[in-house]
Amino acid sequence: MADTPIPLEVRNITKRFGDTEVLKGLSLQAHKGDVITLIGASGSGKSTFLRCMNLLEQPDEGELIVHGEPIRFKQTRHGREPADWKQVVAMRAKLSMVFQSFNLWAHMTLLENVIEAPVHVLGKPKQEAIAHARELLERVGLAERAAYYPAQMSGGQQQRGAIARALAMDPEVMLFDEPTSALDPELVGDVLKVMRDLAKEGRTMIVVTHEMAFARDVSTQVIYLHQGQVEEAGPPDEVLGNPRSERLRQFLAPKH
Amino acid sequence: MIDLHGYGPRLAEGALITLELAVLSLILAVILGLLTASAKMSRSRLAHGIGTLYTTIIRGVPDLVLMMLLFFGGQIGINQVTDTLYDQFGIDLFINVNAFVAGVLTIGLIFGAYMGETFRGAFLAVDSGQIEAGRAYGMSHWLVFRRIRFPQMMRHAIPGLSNNWMVLLKTTALVSVIGLSDMVRVASEASKATREPFTFMIIVAAIYLLIASVSEWGFARLQKRYDVGYGEVK
Repeated sequence: MADTPIPLEVRNITKRFGDTEVLKGLSLQAHKGDVITLIGASGSGKSTFLRCMNLLEQPDEGELIVHGEPIRFKQTRHGREPADWKQVVAMRAKLSMVFQSFNLWAHMTLLENVIEAPVHVLGKPKQEAIAHARELLERVGLAERAAYYPAQMSGGQQQRGAIARALAMDPEVMLFDEPTSALDPELVGDVLKVMRDLAKEGRTMIVVTHEMAFARDVSTQVIYLHQGQVEEAGPPDEVLGNPRSERLRQFLAPKH
Repeated sequence: MIDLHGYGPRLAEGALITLELAVLSLILAVILGLLTASAKMSRSRLAHGIGTLYTTIIRGVPDLVLMMLLFFGGQIGINQVTDTLYDQFGIDLFINVNAFVAGVLTIGLIFGAYMGETFRGAFLAVDSGQIEAGRAYGMSHWLVFRRIRFPQMMRHAIPGLSNNWMVLLKTTALVSVIGLSDMVRVASEASKATREPFTFMIIVAAIYLLIASVSEWGFARLQKRYDVGYGEVK
């Protein structure tokens, strides 16, 4: 344990938007192979928390340690900001994000999307990146769609493509921000299946989701957030199988 | 056959000057436009202020007035500076404002302001998720600009860009007032000398129309290139 650094550690993150404190001191440790699901009602801060992990949002306080390396911050008149953007850029290259609205680059084909960051950020030779991309597209079942543009694909295909794009970075940790929330119900299954396979092969994942079955079956840890605080956290059968707080019980109760 | 009374070669030269002037001004205007758009979208108050001042002045003053102000006023200003240099330091310097350079600078400066607004609107039309994805994948500011923002912005900018170019092209006719022999000036001299204004003006009109038509075709191709990936089905 001591010699391999923890892929991602977050300590006491706080974040306010104006007068509203949306994150009130959140911490998390993602060890290798962990699948951590963040659940909670909308407005509980789970997406903001996730976005603080790759600094798409700037936390007001707290520490972020990626692969043993703490991110340095400085105070500016716009609030706290990273002291060294080069460090942030390098850090982000280790954490791939999958977005709710896919955000595949619209002016590139699927294959171009998948090789973009490996070639231009990691400096991988193009031929090598293409070969790797084709393998990944095969894995997510999109080998025949390589030359398609995002607008020519269904939501489910786009999201699986986005997962291939994330995998192409060979990330330490994958961050999923409600990856199935924008999908038609019949397309959710394919995306979840890909994610289950990733979990099975030992990928470190942090997933914001409303899919309770996924959280129960796949995650190693479930964190239930309420108003920017951790209400309950632990293994899924404890948190989901035997919720202690009334609030979580209500949250989990089937809605009619 | 139309008789050009020997003005043919000069007219051709004038047309070339018009075209050179227009293309160089366009390049300057695009660069200034990108800078202005960035300044106006910047969170630095100073940059924002400079951008706003620039577009306000340029868009509020007639092109002709600006051109004369910069050409004649510019020469006086430069003379004063060189005079001071001579008086104070004994440096003997004479800088003559070249009419062509002045023309490019003025037209570029004028259209930079319009381009700035075109680009700003186009940048704002790019979906923020596209940029966020770039940042999330470890792209630097510049890489996001080069690989994502710029190509996606161009799609929205081309209609305005092409419109600005057409107006710019015709604005080059104004440089005849600062003594540049563009094709309008040549044609107007020829008209006076030969008393055949119709002959020369119709030729000038036809040349403008030709350049405009070719550019329209060019912009349509450019639009097609930047529209790739948006909605069209293979």
